[in-house]
Amino acid sequence: MDMSYKEKSLLASLGATLLFFGWYLYGAFSSLPLNPELPGFIEVIILVVGFIILEAIIQSFLAIKNKSQLEDERDKLIEKTSSRYSYGFLAVCIWVSMVQILLDARFDNHLMLTTPYGMFHFLLLFFVLAEVIRFGTQLYHYRKGV
Amino acid sequence: MSQQTLAEKVGVTRQTIIAIEKDKYSPSLEVAFKISDVFQEPLENIFQYK
Repeated sequence: MDMSYKEKSLLASLGATLLFFGWYLYGAFSSLPLNPELPGFIEVIILVVGFIILEAIIQSFLAIKNKSQLEDERDKLIEKTSSRYSYGFLAVCIWVSMVQILLDARFDNHLMLTTPYGMFHFLLLFFVLAEVIRFGTQLYHYRKGV
Repeated sequence: MSQQTLAEKVGVTRQTIIAIEKDKYSPSLEVAFKISDVFQEPLENIFQYK
């Protein structure tokens, strides 16, 4: 399959996000009832910095292999369209979280989402899913048109 | 003229020229006028509204 630099770059970012945060979130959610402790500040910093380093290595490797990295109006339009989908998803998730917190306070339910551990990991999950939607829809528009 | 040459003259990527040819992207007026300028042809000879 003939892929442009942009498509390769997006695919790499999508793969890195899914692998890195997918692995972390899988671990977090599979141990939910057993480990209701919040991750340490240092652990989160390591996770984020680790991801940035991984992304930088992958993108640098791709940039070396591809001479042309010019961005034009089509790239900007695709990025804008995808960001709109991603923002819409994130907005819905934030509203759902807010309603959950209100319901929890009103009915004293103590839902998993409203514990600090649950809130932290659900917000991270929503953010990762929004990123996946952003990368995925960009790839879709590069293939199918915009 | 190659797609790469046209892309360079117009200031877009080769992928954008390919997308325009395949009817997967409608360029901005600016790019459309630049393409017609490169070919020295009126706009309506190059682009058609469907």
